[in-house]
Amino acid sequence: MTATQLSSAAGNAKTSGVRSRRRRARHPISFAGAIICCVLWAVPIYWMLNTSFKTRDHITSTTPQFFPVPFSFGNYADAFTKPGFLSSLLNSLVVSLGVVIVSIVLGFLASAAVSRFRFFGRRAIMVAILAVQMIPGGALLIPLFLSFKSLGLLNSYWGLGLAYVSSVLPFSIWVLRGFFLNLPIEIEEAAKIDGAGTARILRSVYFPLVLPGLISTSVFAFIAAWNDYITAYVMLKDQSKYTLPVWLVSFSTNEGTDYGGLIAASVLFALPVVIFFMIVQRNLVSGMSAGAVKG
Amino acid sequence: MSVDTSKAVVTGVVEPDGTGSTSRSRRRGGWNWAPAILLAPAGIVLAGVLGYPLVRLVINSFQDFGLRALFTGTTDWVGFANYQAIFKDQQFGPVLLRTGVFTLSLVIGCLVIGMAMAQMMTNLGKGIRTVLNFLLILAWALPTVSSTLVWQWLFQPVYGVFNWLITQVGWFGDYTSHRWTGSAGGAFTIVWLLIVWQSVPFVALTLYAGQSQIPAEFYEAAQLDGASNWRIYRSVTLPFLRPVLYLATILQIIWHFNTFNQLWILTQGGPDHGTTTLSIWAFQKAFASNSFGQGSAIAVVTAILLMILTGVYIRRLIRSGEMQ
Repeated sequence: MTATQLSSAAGNAKTSGVRSRRRRARHPISFAGAIICCVLWAVPIYWMLNTSFKTRDHITSTTPQFFPVPFSFGNYADAFTKPGFLSSLLNSLVVSLGVVIVSIVLGFLASAAVSRFRFFGRRAIMVAILAVQMIPGGALLIPLFLSFKSLGLLNSYWGLGLAYVSSVLPFSIWVLRGFFLNLPIEIEEAAKIDGAGTARILRSVYFPLVLPGLISTSVFAFIAAWNDYITAYVMLKDQSKYTLPVWLVSFSTNEGTDYGGLIAASVLFALPVVIFFMIVQRNLVSGMSAGAVKG
Repeated sequence: MSVDTSKAVVTGVVEPDGTGSTSRSRRRGGWNWAPAILLAPAGIVLAGVLGYPLVRLVINSFQDFGLRALFTGTTDWVGFANYQAIFKDQQFGPVLLRTGVFTLSLVIGCLVIGMAMAQMMTNLGKGIRTVLNFLLILAWALPTVSSTLVWQWLFQPVYGVFNWLITQVGWFGDYTSHRWTGSAGGAFTIVWLLIVWQSVPFVALTLYAGQSQIPAEFYEAAQLDGASNWRIYRSVTLPFLRPVLYLATILQIIWHFNTFNQLWILTQGGPDHGTTTLSIWAFQKAFASNSFGQGSAIAVVTAILLMILTGVYIRRLIRSGEMQ
């Protein structure tokens, strides 16, 4: 949860370079350790890519083939033609994008309320938002399943989407609140003097200024919805409704799994998340409000 | 919303003398509706899909909620019977112990490796550090389902590259067709490796970020005093790092205690319940044996255990200035 937020701190820290000045001497032990770590962390990823580009008989050879020679896109073609892959990809996209849009709108409005207004119960709401993040998601699965069952929301994207929105919303509000608090009050006052009402201020003043925060929370929401396995596994029963992770796992437990196709499909599944994650890593550093007061 | 906007703008423009200045009068006296309206949509969703299930979880844990209840819709209150049933269950002790040891070994593993890696990264040249940084973020970003399936493939009997590697090294004999998920120890080993691989990036990068914000003067002073590297780490780095370390530890406890996907996909709690932790157990009770009451009771117990483990931190957060 807080991972995305802290990752931005990691991104920030890299540029500061306070310590590199101090220790100019290279440490051979650290260097050796770094090489080992690089290898350990690279091997699973390399092996994933390597497998996905191999030909079928090279995947199932008793002596592992360390390079994908001959190079082949056969596994990817295979993945696309597997029954259910395309439809589950589409399902995942629909659900994830829906969750992004809804959670962004709700999160934006709610975080504006808790950061820009003083009202009775505000503190209680903030405590609740924090405390809610401590609830293990798995614990809510059982009552959620039962409620959705009696409401007829099982096997529906509405139910699944609602579950995702509620799981990402507290964190989104928390992060967006931070972006709101960074904005100087003078901006709002200036807009008020110019005659803007609350809705106008939200749309024309705050929205563009907290846009970096909205981008990062929407990436967070997308990743959460896209990656989720257990909720979708419980809620979706029809194979035609499966999201991509559920499809992938059901595919892997079949006897005589075609690992080439499976790994290629996993790469395709991971690709958008990895790309988005990398973007947010850099983009979280926001300079939007700098110079907005005194330009 | 749009109606509200136009009205606000018009009042502002037409009556600049303040007679119609709604915002000011609103703030001074009476109820301000704006925050309530802004909060309402999120509040309704959270109350319905987070608050209500939470209450219902506790209620269900005191009910006889099985297959019959699912079809008839009638549930009987059974008091603490579900709790008694799970505490008396032969599995309870082993499951609790397993969950504890599993969580502890992961928290320690991730923290030790993460701290060592963060310290290491401060000593690295820019090139190799960038490469390591990139790889860590990649491992972190990879969805759990993807990395778990890759793990399955790495440790696959006969074709898995890891089995081949271990056989080549030769210390353990022929491991080619070894089934890691065939024994609880083997299954936990590969799950531990997988989760450490996934979680260390967060710990290492967070701690590294914290470490690079420590002012260099402190290190210079310590070096002038002739302190050893270990002493510097203990007396300068660690005190500065404590808040970050604290946060990382708490998050690790929560995440590892609730581990589900990796275990479920790789072992489904098997072999012979050997890798059944609390979260797996609750899931099995509810969704495999349709004993939703007992499943809820396990979930409640899990949540309470976690609250005890992390309560100190929550209290500290609530008290801190962050809450205003």
